[in-house]
Amino acid sequence: MAAPCTENNHKQGKLEFVLDVPFPSSREASIALQSLSPDREPRKGGISKELTVSGCTLSVSWRADEARILRVSVGSFMDHLSLVMETMEAFGPPVSVTTQTVSSTMT
Amino acid sequence: MTVVIGFEGSANKIGVGIVRDGEVLSNPRRTYITPPGQGFLPSETARHHRSVILTVLKEALEEAGLKPADIDCVAYTKGPGMGAPLVTVALVARTVAQLWGKPLLGVNHCIGHIEMGRLITQANNPTVLYVSGGNTQVIAYSERRYRIFGETIDIAVGNCLDRFARVIKISNDPSPGYNIEQMAKKGTQYVELPYTVKGMDVSFSGILSYIEVRCRAFKWELSSALSCIETLFSMLVEITERAMAHCSSQEVLIVGGVGCNLRLQEMMGVMCKERGAKLFATDESFCIDNGAMIAQAGWEMFRSGQTTELSDSWITQRYRTDEVEVTWRD
Repeated sequence: MAAPCTENNHKQGKLEFVLDVPFPSSREASIALQSLSPDREPRKGGISKELTVSGCTLSVSWRADEARILRVSVGSFMDHLSLVMETMEAFGPPVSVTTQTVSSTMT
Repeated sequence: MTVVIGFEGSANKIGVGIVRDGEVLSNPRRTYITPPGQGFLPSETARHHRSVILTVLKEALEEAGLKPADIDCVAYTKGPGMGAPLVTVALVARTVAQLWGKPLLGVNHCIGHIEMGRLITQANNPTVLYVSGGNTQVIAYSERRYRIFGETIDIAVGNCLDRFARVIKISNDPSPGYNIEQMAKKGTQYVELPYTVKGMDVSFSGILSYIEVRCRAFKWELSSALSCIETLFSMLVEITERAMAHCSSQEVLIVGGVGCNLRLQEMMGVMCKERGAKLFATDESFCIDNGAMIAQAGWEMFRSGQTTELSDSWITQRYRTDEVEVTWRD
């Protein structure tokens, strides 16, 4: 199976950006998390982001070396987020399942 | 009964298809067409896909007469292809899989083409020529892998044709390759172009450079189109024949967008006849990228027990055809 290169995400970037996105339920916030976290940042270095869910809120925090890199990443994320939300609106609400795990992921 | 929905959007076509036990229930698709002289860029293509994907998804369900609860598995293109469009499609696939509580399955785009070709034509065990804007490979099945016997060492044949179309600024509607095919029919003068078969493989970037220079200088548009087609396709027929000889194969299946070209099918047909082999090809609804081909490959994979965990569902621009274990064939 094709595998992504592992990235060194531990470098401390100079710039930070934090976004908190409220959802109608914690289930929907987790669905958004699971949809948005698997793909790696296209840019290998200079940017990292972390997605977590707490209650009904999806939190995203970025660290970047340069403003333009940060801008591009945040801009793409907003497009992706709005697509996920539109999808949830068009095809939700989620069916009930017996177990649902909420996880935090670093990309 | 197994119903799989498939999402495809690795290049400029966005399609959602539904397959049930070998029957294609729906297969709507939209194409992002750029003005003459322009190719499609990742971010714009992704924007196009984002704007239509939910509509196409609704169409797929309506045409099939199904509700989300009727779906057993959500398949999507994991790769290869263009990054931004792939992500757009994967986001929707992941989201609906979770909303509907269905397993997810990441499919290799090339294998999607092969499995749809096999389904539609019922070819038994063919040598496959997979030719599109993004890929050019000669593939044969052996011991649980689709093995690549020959391929382009630089650009795909469809890419060569698309870029030639940009040089002569013809329309990209419905596709540049189709318009070159029409022009070639009107050409009368064959011009000798570099012929670059490299053993089992082929090269196209040199021919492209050659045509670009001469076309600008001499304005041979119709004869360039004709010569281009004849040369490129002869090369493809040669490497396909070489692979057939190695595998002692009596069947050829052409898949991928360039496979729609009737001249390619004609030339391959002549070679097959000379060898006593059979040629299989599909029509444009299945040759060109579509959602049902992803659904069909997904159907095979799902039935043999494969699924993709959400955390493993990342897309990848590079994904070799022989990386996938073909668990559904002996």
